[in-house]
Amino acid sequence: MSSDPYSDRGNKDLSLGNASKMSTATPVRPGGEARAAPGGPFLIGENMTGGYGNGPDILHDCTIAVDKGEIAVIVGPNGAGKSTGMKAVFGMLNLRQGHVRLDGEDITQLTPQARVAKGMGFVPQTSNIFTSLTVEENLEMGAFIRTDDFRDTMTQIYDLFPILKEKRYQAAGELSGGQRQQVAVGRALMTQPKVLMLDEPTAGVSPIVMDELFDRIIEVARTGIPILMVEQNARQALEIADKGYVLVQGANAYTGTGKDLLADPDVRKSFLGG
Amino acid sequence: MDLLNAIVALLNFVVVPAMAYGSQLALGALGVTLIYGILRFSNFAHGDTMAFGAMVTVLVTWLFQSWGVSLGPLPTALLALPFGILGCMGLVLATDRMVYKFYRAQKAKPVILVIVSLGVTFILNGLVRFIIGPDDQNFADGERFIISARTFKEMTGLEEGLAVKTTQGITVVTAVVVVALLFWFLNRTRTGKSMRAYSDNEDLALLSGINPERVVMITWLIVAGLATIAGVLYGLDKSFKPFTYFQLLLPIFASAIVGGLGNPLGAIAGGFVIAFSEVGVTYAWKKVAGYVLPESLAPDGLIQLLSTDYKLAVSFVILLIVLLIKPTGLFQGKSI
Repeated sequence: MSSDPYSDRGNKDLSLGNASKMSTATPVRPGGEARAAPGGPFLIGENMTGGYGNGPDILHDCTIAVDKGEIAVIVGPNGAGKSTGMKAVFGMLNLRQGHVRLDGEDITQLTPQARVAKGMGFVPQTSNIFTSLTVEENLEMGAFIRTDDFRDTMTQIYDLFPILKEKRYQAAGELSGGQRQQVAVGRALMTQPKVLMLDEPTAGVSPIVMDELFDRIIEVARTGIPILMVEQNARQALEIADKGYVLVQGANAYTGTGKDLLADPDVRKSFLGG
Repeated sequence: MDLLNAIVALLNFVVVPAMAYGSQLALGALGVTLIYGILRFSNFAHGDTMAFGAMVTVLVTWLFQSWGVSLGPLPTALLALPFGILGCMGLVLATDRMVYKFYRAQKAKPVILVIVSLGVTFILNGLVRFIIGPDDQNFADGERFIISARTFKEMTGLEEGLAVKTTQGITVVTAVVVVALLFWFLNRTRTGKSMRAYSDNEDLALLSGINPERVVMITWLIVAGLATIAGVLYGLDKSFKPFTYFQLLLPIFASAIVGGLGNPLGAIAGGFVIAFSEVGVTYAWKKVAGYVLPESLAPDGLIQLLSTDYKLAVSFVILLIVLLIKPTGLFQGKSI
């Protein structure tokens, strides 16, 4: 039995409540403000140390950055803290040390919602769509913070992912894996973000769909949106990356351009299978 | 002619009362299901929230009656209803701020919130009885019947009469309007969609910039409205007695679970399933059978399956059957 009085005991009974859909994140608390911090890359999580709730540290002095017009890719073995690093940059967990800066502002104290308003878009690895909502409603929810007319953006997204236009009135949960990922990316693009963060966009899709998704991601990057991405298919991802980070146990192990990392014998041996 | 008489008797004693009761249960179950879908726990305090809202309405109704304000043939309570809703909204927002918010911040699991809501139940229970007393209160006024049994008999020349009480008519009409408004809100408006999104996936709602505290607040406000309307309609139709609202909790939960917890459509269907079975099982079918069956087969007994004292057992049994056979409810439950 855990010592946490608010733990999971006795929560399997669905007539008492629906714990499965509860938030698991421990986001930055409201009330913080952004401070000017000029210089540096467009988006950087600098010397980040932290973990979930009061749990142990998962990130140790980890730095991830992406600059305008770039694709940055985070690779590493399972449990290296890749997804945690992304969440930390997005404010989904409290940092004990380190800073997150976006476009010349220190946003470490901002809530995730406030970061969305500042122009960050994030596609989580799992449960990244609203399954019971239609495709169109998913996109509308992506544009939740926008008060202007977002129909143009929606048209653009339907142009980028034509299959979504066909299925716009279908519940997103009924779509295939690849189509779901397109909904997820589309949802994040609805805010017209200044930077897009993707956590394993190709997880669980077939190789053909994966190639197509990569093409779409490059297409998005060409429109000038910097992309920070976690990827399991390290080789393929590093090939399109301007910048690559190899994380091991929550810390930076290797950093360099995608080509450098692909050529680095240590990286090849440890992470790319020779 | 006999068949017509049978149908009228059936309408009078089963269909009309069950429609009204079903509407009241459906409104109550909608409140429970919204809390379940969005705050993710079974709110045991719902019955007493209904009692509180109804109590404020009763008090304001008495005030209006003392001023001589009335709505003519309609009950004055309808005029007082908005004030009751406002009072109830104030109450639920205060309890949320003082009680539930703390547990949300701890990310307390539903089982804890259920027990917390039980505590809130007892406080509200005491509060309502402290203010208005534990006895029956009468606050219905205006015209009593839309059609009384006698007028109906004179009009049609049938042996059986059909009485429709004003309160029954109001109940059904109000329920239809409220449910239509609620569904329009949930499916068509930006705020309603954000509530469904939050119910579907809390973390992703956060990433989309949806403010959880705002969603929770709006949910409480809607639930307060639904609870007060359900409470007042029930009070008008039967009578206002604080303890009956606590007892209503069982059929309301049965409705919500039978329909599929978290599914608003299910809550409505569940409300009618429970109401019709409760009324049907406790009704003495002798009269209807007497009209329909040939003389030789006419029953000796009342053909009443259960005494009305056991009507609460009906909800229990239906609940058990559903949980055994289709645990997710008639409609797929668990998210709005």
